[in-house]
Order: sequence, then structure tokens, then C-alpha cells
Amino acid sequence: MAGDFVVGIGPDGSGESAAIYAAHLAQLLKRSVVLVFGYEASSMGPRGGPLEDQIEAIADEVTSAVRNRLVEAFPDVEVNIELIRDRAVDSLIIAAEAHEAELIVVGHGGRGPLRAALLGSTTYELVHRGPIPILVVPDPDEE
Amino acid sequence: MADKGLKGGSLGLVAVIVIGVASTAPGYSLAAGIGGIADAAGVKAPFIMLFAFVPMGCIAAAFYYLNKADPDCGTNFTWGVRAFGPRAGWISGWGCIVADLVIMPNLAGISGQYLVLLFSEKLAQNIYLTTTIGILFIVAMCWICWKGIELSAKSQVILLGTEVVILSVFAVVAIVKAFHGTTRTALNGDGVATVYHSIRPSLSWMSPSGLSTQAITAGLVVAIFAYWGWDTCVSVNEEAEDSSRTPGIAAVLSTFILLAIYLLTSYGVVSLLGPTFVSDNSGDAIYAAGKVALPAIFVKLLVIAVLTSAAASCQTTILPATRTMLSMGAHGAGPQKLAQINHKQLTPDFSTWLFGGISIGWYLLLVLVSHNSSTDAYSASIAAVGMAIAVYYGVSGLSCVWYYRRYLLVSAKNFFLIGFLPLFGGVVLIFVFCKTVWDARNEAYGYGLLFGVGTVLVIGTLLLAVGVPLMIWCSFKYPTFFSYSPDPIHTVPDPYSESTLAAPLGTYTKENRHGW
Repeated sequence: MAGDFVVGIGPDGSGESAAIYAAHLAQLLKRSVVLVFGYEASSMGPRGGPLEDQIEAIADEVTSAVRNRLVEAFPDVEVNIELIRDRAVDSLIIAAEAHEAELIVVGHGGRGPLRAALLGSTTYELVHRGPIPILVVPDPDEE
Repeated sequence: MADKGLKGGSLGLVAVIVIGVASTAPGYSLAAGIGGIADAAGVKAPFIMLFAFVPMGCIAAAFYYLNKADPDCGTNFTWGVRAFGPRAGWISGWGCIVADLVIMPNLAGISGQYLVLLFSEKLAQNIYLTTTIGILFIVAMCWICWKGIELSAKSQVILLGTEVVILSVFAVVAIVKAFHGTTRTALNGDGVATVYHSIRPSLSWMSPSGLSTQAITAGLVVAIFAYWGWDTCVSVNEEAEDSSRTPGIAAVLSTFILLAIYLLTSYGVVSLLGPTFVSDNSGDAIYAAGKVALPAIFVKLLVIAVLTSAAASCQTTILPATRTMLSMGAHGAGPQKLAQINHKQLTPDFSTWLFGGISIGWYLLLVLVSHNSSTDAYSASIAAVGMAIAVYYGVSGLSCVWYYRRYLLVSAKNFFLIGFLPLFGGVVLIFVFCKTVWDARNEAYGYGLLFGVGTVLVIGTLLLAVGVPLMIWCSFKYPTFFSYSPDPIHTVPDPYSESTLAAPLGTYTKENRHGW
């Protein structure tokens, strides 16, 4: 649906604050929310079978948990789930295009600039590549 | 709207080619293997390089078709079970893990050595320094695999592009110098001077004439390793934009690029100062030849190319090993713990660190052995890994023919692609293995002796043989898996039908032969 809010959810459940924020906005603006989980097992080795089954189970579990919390807190907002087998940033862009989304909402894990530079940061890359407005919602501190 | 299942990603043509070539790691493969090949085949190294591709290409066909029936990250392990039963599958999976394990010391050794060479040639002789760096390298690579870090497609293109360009420049310069004629005198440790002369390159180097079967197999067992990684990547990773065409074109193009690099560089390395120079410097052949051919700055780039290539190769060693372990754990062929996935990184954490730990132990053992005996365990491990690859690829080739035996005679295409190619590849590889076992038993094979037997034979078969008691132990501990039977012939799906997937592993057991 045009105008959806796309939210990135990470395997560790990161992005939950982003999802809550997005759902809040969606309730006010009468939009729906799409939770996107993107993950690609390294293409340099064989995949399939038990590896992808387990990843899929984890993806399902994590996104469903976030979805349940949203549905409970914002009963009027429609919450959909998309699991995409691709790099996190690419998955968000693919989902945003497929849904003709208006906004991408992502978390920000508070990684320092050094760690982000070394390990890459989904949020950082997205801010530079995102085709539509991006909203970054900091995740609560890990402690 | 909630979709069940992960949707496929989209890899473009360039990405598939890059992954295919990068995972073969031409720079590192040459650095590690060219010494052994030149030692076995002399100036005929280009022929060996070309010829080794044949069985590997044939096995890629087997991987492609078996992957249609069961795209499992355990690849040859699950396929072996389906074709020949749990014991053959178990040993085939073990062969894959052993091959990956055997190569780790060499990867770590080359990385340690080349990294130090970047700064000082003298320090590179310090075994404590290079070993420490090698261990750190293994830890770092395991960490990268555990963390699931992947370079972006763009940086891979840049890295691989640099590697290919540097190798080509090096090869062309070497060939030109060889045509003009170069001589180099080297002093060995005892102060004896050896004079090396360049040899005019000749097209006859691509023909096998004048080579004995022993020389060809000795070269092949090393060169097999040079193509290792290409096949899995090309045949297993099918997801791509327009998946009906891209993987095919990508396979052809990446093959062409690989063959061209190997041919060109083997010509260059061998002709520059003759094959003896290469085998005398087998520990760092590419560096030694690079120093003769190129100005200092290019030599540094060449070293960097080998290093980045070794890093890529490390990934394509650790990932398949840990994924086979994961698959074996998940299907109940070994401890369940092997299948454990880290929830945050989505990678098999237990398997990765276990493999890393065993690799370090094995590496230290080989360093000790090499240091305290006349044996060159590093170079021997390249030939030994060729043996392990030959076994498990050979089994995969035969698995394909036997698994699809019902469809072989349906069409000429089936007969050729599913029957002839995998069978030919499998038979050649098994022959290479058997011949190597026979030839490598005594000292004349090279690489030195261990316990009175050729080092290559000891390293190549010791770990494989350990698999047998380990499998028997597993068969008592995990009887369910060992009660599986091969897929009954009438349940095998046609690889050209709409649904090519076979029933899940474990559907057919000894008690329940037909699965109903």
C-alpha cells in the first residue's frame, strides 16, 4: 500500500523502539506499518537446508514478537511482516519500493563511529542510499 | 500479507562473477601451489593448470544437479547420504571438513609470511613471528565468519580487480623478460651459488607430451586445489537476477577469467627464471619471482594481492567447513551442538570456534613438525588437501550419477551432463587420490618423510582415516541417523521437472524403506 512506514528489525530485536515510534506515527496518520527483516547468509559458502531454516525460524520469532507488542499497543494500526533474503540495507530499500513506502524507520544501536566504520552500519549506509525519508530512532542503552 | 519464508535476494551478473573468482582466490592459490606444480611438471605447469580444470568443471555439474534435489548447506554430506547411505555421506562430509582443516595451516602460514614480507624480508624468516601472526589471522578470520561480516559488492570488485590486474601485469612483464632473457644468481644457506636462466615460453607447454603419469598426478593434486571454491560458488549459488541465465553466463565468464589468469601467470612464473627457481622458492614463489620481475612498489602490491586473496580463501574455507558441521549436527549425524546458531549474528558460532580451535592446534603441530624435521609440512599440506578434495569431490561426482541413475538415459543431454561429466570427474579425482597414495608412500615423491612414510601421504590420509573410528563412535551414539537408507530410486525427482526437491533427509529409513 502506498504510504506505508517500513521498519527495519534486526536479529537481536533491535529496531523495536523504531517500530513503536513508527506505529505511533502510523496511528496518528492512519497508515500501516511493515516490519522488514533482511538477512543473507554469506554467499561465499553453501547455504540452504538447516542453516536457512534456523535463520528463518529466528526471523519469524523476532518479528512476530515485535508485531505482537505493536498490535497490543496500537490496535488500530495494521502491522505486516516481510522477511527478505538480502543484506539489511538492500532489504529495506527493496521493501520500501515494493510498498511504495513514504518513510523508512530504523533503530540506531549507539555504535561508536569507529565500530561503525570498521563493521559497517546499516543505518549509516541507509542514510546515504535511502530513496525516501529516513527516520532514525535510537535504541535504548543495552544496560 | 505476512510472508512465510525468506525471499530470495538478487545478485547481479558482476556480483556472481566476482564471488566465483574471489572465492577461488587466484592470488593465494598461485602463491601456495605454483611451487609444487613446477616441482612436479617443470615447464609444463601451464598444461597442469589447464588440465586440472577438467575434473573440477565436471564436478561442478554434479554439484549443480544435486543442489537441485537438496540445496542443503551440508552439500556433499547430504548428497552422499541420499545416494549411498549414511556411512558414505558421513565420510564424505568428514572429507570436506578435513580438506578445509588441512589447508588452514598453509593459509595461516602464507598470510603470516606475506604480511611480514610487506615490511621486512629478514623478519619473515622468524618462525615465531610468522606463526604468531598466522594464529592471529585464523582467529581474525573465524571472528569475521562468526560475525557474519561481508564486504560490500563494490569493495569486492575493487579488491578482486586489483588482484587480477596485478597478477596480469606481473605475468606479462615476466613473459617479456623471459623472451629477452634474464639470469639470476642465488646463494643458498650453505653459500652455494645457483644460477637460474630464463626459458623462452613455448606453446608446447600446454601439451602433456613428455610428462609421466606420476608427474601429471603429482601436479594435478596440487592444481585441483587451485580451482577449489570456484565450483561450489558457481553451482550452488543460483539466486541471481533472471536466474535462468545469469548463473550460466557468470559461470562461463568466471571460468574464462580464472583459466586466463592461471595460464598467463603459470607461463610467466615458470619462464622467468625456469621451473627450478620456482620449486626452490616454493615457500614464497610468487614473491620471489615478483621481486625479479617488478619494481619494488609493484612487489608490495603483489604481496597485498596475495594477502587479500588469502583472506577471501579463508572465508571460503571456514564457511563450507562450519556449514557442513552445522548440517551434520542438524541432521543428527553428530552432536546437536554443532548446529547451534548465534541468535544475534545468525551464524553457526559453536562450529566456527571449534573449527578455529582445531585449526590452530593443527597449525602448531605442523609448525613443530616442519621446524624439527626435514619435512616441508606447509607445502605438503597443499598436496594433502588436493587428496582430501579428490576424495570428497570424487564421491560427489559418483553420488550424482548414482542418485539420478533413473534419468540418465532419458535424453542425450541428461546422459552427458548428469551422467558422463560427473562420472568422468569423479573417476579422474578418485584415480588421482589412489595414485597419489601409491606414489607418495616413499621419499622420492618430495616434501620429506614423516614416520618413515611420505609426508603428503601421512597428512593426506591420517585425518581422513581418523574419520572411520569417529564415524563408528557416532553410529552408536546417534543410531537414528545411521538408520537412514539411500533415497529409493522411484522417489528421486526429475531435475528438469517443476519440483526438483527431494523429500527431507530421513524420510526413508531401513525399517521404513519407502517412506510410507
